[in-house]
Amino acid sequence: MMSGAAIFTAAQAIGGGVQPHLSFRDLRKVYPDGVAALDGVSAEVPRGQFCVVLGPSGSGKSTLLRVVNGLTELTSGRMQMGDAVLDRANLRMIRRKVAMVHQLFNLVERASVASNVLAGAVAEVPFWRVALGWYPNALRQRACEVVARVGLDGIHLPRRAAALSGGQQQRVGIARAFLLRPEVILADEPVASLDPAISREVLGLLREAAREQSATVLCSLHQTDLAREFADRIIGMRKGRVVFDGPPHLFDSAAEAKLYEGLTAQVEKPNAEERAYA
Amino acid sequence: MRDADLAIGAHHPRPAKDWHLPAPYDWRAALAVLLIALALIWSGNRMEVGKMLSLTGEAVLSAVGVQETSQVGRGLGRMLGALLPLVIEDRQEVARLPGLDRDALPLFTRIEMVEVTTFRMNAETLKAEPQVAVKEYLVHPFGYLIKVLGKMVETFEIAVWATIISVILSLPLAFYGARNYTPNRFTYSASRGVVSFLRAMPELIIAMFLVLGFGFGAIAGYLALGLHGAGFLGKFYAEDIEAADRKPQEALTALGAGKLRVLRAAVLPQVAPSYVAYTLYILDRNVRMAAVIGLVGAGGIGQELKGRYDTFEYGHVGTILLVIFLTVFMLDQVSARVRARLIG
Repeated sequence: MMSGAAIFTAAQAIGGGVQPHLSFRDLRKVYPDGVAALDGVSAEVPRGQFCVVLGPSGSGKSTLLRVVNGLTELTSGRMQMGDAVLDRANLRMIRRKVAMVHQLFNLVERASVASNVLAGAVAEVPFWRVALGWYPNALRQRACEVVARVGLDGIHLPRRAAALSGGQQQRVGIARAFLLRPEVILADEPVASLDPAISREVLGLLREAAREQSATVLCSLHQTDLAREFADRIIGMRKGRVVFDGPPHLFDSAAEAKLYEGLTAQVEKPNAEERAYA
Repeated sequence: MRDADLAIGAHHPRPAKDWHLPAPYDWRAALAVLLIALALIWSGNRMEVGKMLSLTGEAVLSAVGVQETSQVGRGLGRMLGALLPLVIEDRQEVARLPGLDRDALPLFTRIEMVEVTTFRMNAETLKAEPQVAVKEYLVHPFGYLIKVLGKMVETFEIAVWATIISVILSLPLAFYGARNYTPNRFTYSASRGVVSFLRAMPELIIAMFLVLGFGFGAIAGYLALGLHGAGFLGKFYAEDIEAADRKPQEALTALGAGKLRVLRAAVLPQVAPSYVAYTLYILDRNVRMAAVIGLVGAGGIGQELKGRYDTFEYGHVGTILLVIFLTVFMLDQVSARVRARLIG
């Protein structure tokens, strides 16, 4: 395990002294059954970084992401975004700046691609517009832009989400996340249900699109090869603790062994969840 | 890591021959089937299921000519015979139409002479003697059919307004009655209680009470059906909300959307097909029930049906029943198309 000081130095080296965008102070989350999903996690993520949270299943990486937009309530510790400390009062404000990309896409399968993407603005427009499904012109134009940006075509707009392939559905999920130009993107295992080639395309798209608008990305993954390929920085987690924090070139086989040590039989198998989508 | 993946099968602590895949049924399932069978036998005796089967069997046998007569066959035959021929004409005694202009009869009508034989007591012979009188009738060949169709339109209007009332009432009931959207346990129980109560009260009884308050006519009819329908729709709307896929709801919650927005944007698209199906079913049911609640004076074709039945005019009853059947059948065709278009 790395010492606290080493983690701090690594973070400094990456952050370069800029004010952190997200800062985690000693985050703890203990579930009612006594399982500590987060057991004292501290880290600082600078603006615009593509930060991969890597670890075996059950290591707490999803929980860490869900703490950022308040989907999981902390047992103790402090999550800060810029100057704002996450609490009940500014939960809505923080959620509006944070978008999420989900492992199972979390689209409304029966709804069209267009309305799924526009749903990304559901908290921002007046309720009557949501009720009628009548979003402002500028927003509809923006929806077309993001759909084009994620590599889909105009003909996809009226199609049902369920009619798309897995890779295309995740593109819709990314378009929804980018609709309102969020500051932070939380990507929770965004490619766990996609095959390796599609996974690379989707992760590349996510990284480029985030870079274009200098959004910070916190992306949980369990595939070490993808993490090395796409991350600006890797936070390795195990049993709710940070066991590695540094740039990908420092994440060598020794660090990987430490992350997965003794877990060979329980390591999440990428192939088990892959579905054969074109 | 890849090597580890490949090795997973071999690392499993127990070999496959020690595994156990239990049979789908066990003694508890057998016991349950036995208990249900015993309960049905007990209930079947009380409900005279045996008698029902033997009488039905006899009726079928006599219908195909194997057996000469059957009690059920005779009864049903008499009833069906009374319904036929269907009466679609309307006739009024000319003597009771003082303003009738014989040179300019209303469209399609004609005047018919009918010889009516009445028996009068002859005061001298003290015998009943036949007397033949000629009565004139103004006959409209489709008069009664048109009247029934008019009543059916009124019935359909009652059904439509009842459905509108049901939908409006059941939307808040569904919101408060869905476990994952209701604000607290009290509102949940209250909503569920109201829904059960509305469903438990037969519409005929509600209609009777409402007739006392609102008087005879359509208002009592569509209010009664609307309240009962809300008990049905409130329950099914709520259960569909509970069963809807949680993943898109979580996605929108994560974006900062409140409950109503999540319901509209993430739940409604999922439940829309079944909501359409339930609502069309309620409309269909309201058309049928509107015919029944007319019996207690709550408007519509039922009032007409009751009047004719009570005066033994079974030919007219037959016409009414046929019109109700054709309306329900047509509604079924139309709603099948509407559903296909909205769902497909």
